[in-house]
Amino acid sequence: MSAYKDIAWNGIWKQNTILAQVLGLCPLLAVSSNLVNAVSLGLATIVVMMLSNFAISALRAFIPYEIRIPVFILIIAALVTGIDLAFNAFLHDLYMVLGIFIPLIVTNCIVLARVEAFAAKNGLRAATFDGLMMGVGFVWVIGLLGAVREFVGQGTLFSGIEMIFPQLSGIQILPVEYPGFLIAMLPPGAFFVLGLLIAGRNWLDSRANQRTREQRIHHQADHANSVPA
Amino acid sequence: MSEPIEIAHRESSVLRISVRTAAIMLAFTLVFTALMAGTYRVTEPLVAASALTEKLRLIGEVLPPGHYDNDLMADAITLSPQKALGLNEETRLWRARKGGEPAALVLEAAALDGYSGRISLILAVDVEGHMLAQRVTAHKETPGLGDYIDPKKDRNKTRPWITQFSNLGFDTVPQKKWKVKKDGGRFDQMSGATISARAVTNASGRALAWAVEHRDKLFALPANSRFEESKP
Amino acid sequence: MTRQDRDLLVNNSPYFLQPASVQSVMLRVLVALLPGIAAYVWFFGAAILVQILLASVTALAAEAVMLKLRGKPLMMFLGDGSALVTAWLIALTFPSIAPWWLTVFGTLLAIVVAKHLYGGLGQNPFNPAMVAFALMIVAYPLLMSQWPGVDATDFAGQWEAIFGSRQLDAMTMATPLDALRTVLRDPEQRAVIAGLLGKHATFGNVGGRGWEWIAAGYALGGLYLLQQRIITWHMPVAFLATLFAVSGAFALYEPDRFAGPGFQLFTGGAMLAAFFIVTDPVSGATTPRGKLIFAGAAAVLTWIIRTFGAYPDGIAFAVLLMNIAAPLIDMYTQPPVFGHKDKRGDSP
Repeated sequence: MSAYKDIAWNGIWKQNTILAQVLGLCPLLAVSSNLVNAVSLGLATIVVMMLSNFAISALRAFIPYEIRIPVFILIIAALVTGIDLAFNAFLHDLYMVLGIFIPLIVTNCIVLARVEAFAAKNGLRAATFDGLMMGVGFVWVIGLLGAVREFVGQGTLFSGIEMIFPQLSGIQILPVEYPGFLIAMLPPGAFFVLGLLIAGRNWLDSRANQRTREQRIHHQADHANSVPA
Repeated sequence: MSEPIEIAHRESSVLRISVRTAAIMLAFTLVFTALMAGTYRVTEPLVAASALTEKLRLIGEVLPPGHYDNDLMADAITLSPQKALGLNEETRLWRARKGGEPAALVLEAAALDGYSGRISLILAVDVEGHMLAQRVTAHKETPGLGDYIDPKKDRNKTRPWITQFSNLGFDTVPQKKWKVKKDGGRFDQMSGATISARAVTNASGRALAWAVEHRDKLFALPANSRFEESKP
Repeated sequence: MTRQDRDLLVNNSPYFLQPASVQSVMLRVLVALLPGIAAYVWFFGAAILVQILLASVTALAAEAVMLKLRGKPLMMFLGDGSALVTAWLIALTFPSIAPWWLTVFGTLLAIVVAKHLYGGLGQNPFNPAMVAFALMIVAYPLLMSQWPGVDATDFAGQWEAIFGSRQLDAMTMATPLDALRTVLRDPEQRAVIAGLLGKHATFGNVGGRGWEWIAAGYALGGLYLLQQRIITWHMPVAFLATLFAVSGAFALYEPDRFAGPGFQLFTGGAMLAAFFIVTDPVSGATTPRGKLIFAGAAAVLTWIIRTFGAYPDGIAFAVLLMNIAAPLIDMYTQPPVFGHKDKRGDSP
């Protein structure tokens, strides 16, 4: 059970694909200009990662070591093509927005990295769970990035949700007179916000480290004090 | 004594491994290509339907569905590259009819003198020579400055800039007044971002004039034929 | 330390003629900006003084807060005047009738993000004032291109534009660079650039109306800085000469499409850039040869972005791009240290 806990913690925080490994920046920066686009691409990535981890873990006994990379890519490409076609067929409006970035999931190094580093060496259940958790790590960061950029950029959240659920509509949070901060919606804004998120993660981590260190010192001090002179 | 045999043995095993690996690769390729082909087959009609919906949606923005009752996709002709429309490539022109009578033309045009290059337009011109509406379909204007020509980016949501052309013809706005105010014409522009507005305004004026001039011939051509005439 | 102690100290090279504290350098830079500011007020009204005040107050407040947060001695850094120079450059590069929050926001970004998040004075790889300009013109291109017209110097109106919510259209005018582009893109007008100078409302005798005098004021201040040995000749000369050569060559080649060197040098921020912006000692190159390359390349980029780019004036983008290259330029132009052998040769 604790192995699964490790997998989850790795995916969501410690080995987070974006904040720690800084992988897959191309779709991350291009599609995260609002929350709906970001989460949609994130969910597509989760599905690809789970399916590819599952498929490769299942087939790993049949894949010769020498040709593993082409086979991995082949499997990932087939899965992504399927999802691309499904998006085009069932969520056409969203497909027009995400455009080239769905097929580009193939080249997202996170997918290949997890397949190579984890799925090819682990059992079905653990591999699928790892794909899910790495995907969740991707989706919460890209979602946060999208939310911050959309909020700062135009003062709304969930704009464009009608492309997925026609009965819903975006929320205007700041007054309509808000002049917006266009640069947040443009590619430079993605870099700025991502930089701040990574800085925030490093800050939290270093604070946590310091706290454990202080606790240890306290603990030792307490221990020393309790020893009778 | 045994060396040659061993080499031969090793060679044959290398060969065997290579063949085996190739066969596995081939098998994987076949299986997954088949999977992709299957998905394609299943989704193909849906994808085609989505593409058609998309095209009709775009046309619907400039030509309200109430204006026609024919099958627009079937009643289309091909235009040779029309310099007057700013086009260097073949385009389609759709002919809307109501009760069999000509109602409107839907055509594409382009302005080549935008701030950052080409601005693509789609517009509908009714049989009286009025522009029903026009929309920008592709542009590279500066974000936040010239991109108000696209109603999705226009901050004025109640009355976007591009809607001021709706239902105007040369009878209401004389052709020489079909310009932005800065050039002495009728149409507003955003101060500080005149170039984009001027490019769209001038291109739409040229397209309207072209549509009015060739209207009868365009309606008379059989469906799916080709319109060749190109005036310099 | 006492005076005697200081006299006994032996500094490492390079030796300056007079040891100049940051404070006195910054003070003289501010003085050098005054002629340009005077011309600005003369032609475009007193709004620019309001903007300078806004930017200065914001910069000092932001500087104080950041120093406190970073646990640095407040008075020592706050008094050095570098924040004020940044603030003045922001005010001078932003439109003088920009709404107050645009200037305040831009200054905050310059001091908080471009300066202190990168480690404070001496550590910032990018020129803070240019970061503010680039961010704001990308974020608010429309507001950043609302410039006051010549003779629209009515102060009450300008005050209203800065602090009120009045529609600006009546008093604004495109900058000469923008106007030139608008004219050149007009297929029907087919204007000849030479014919515009002196006739069109926006254009003066050489560059933009009014702007050419402001540019002359900056040049005067720049000469003072040279005389005071606060800047060396390399950067201004390389910047202006390159801009002159590039624009001159293209204007000779096709005078109807490209503005000549006089126009390029005397409009927009060319003079300000040559003497006050590319010369920033922190974010630019530092070796003599490096300075020539840095400023020359910045001039080429300025011309390219002005002529073909999506935003009117290219100086901010050009300077920021060259800031990125500055460490590399320094590395490859390090003068050989005396006594060291040439890397390639065996003999000294």
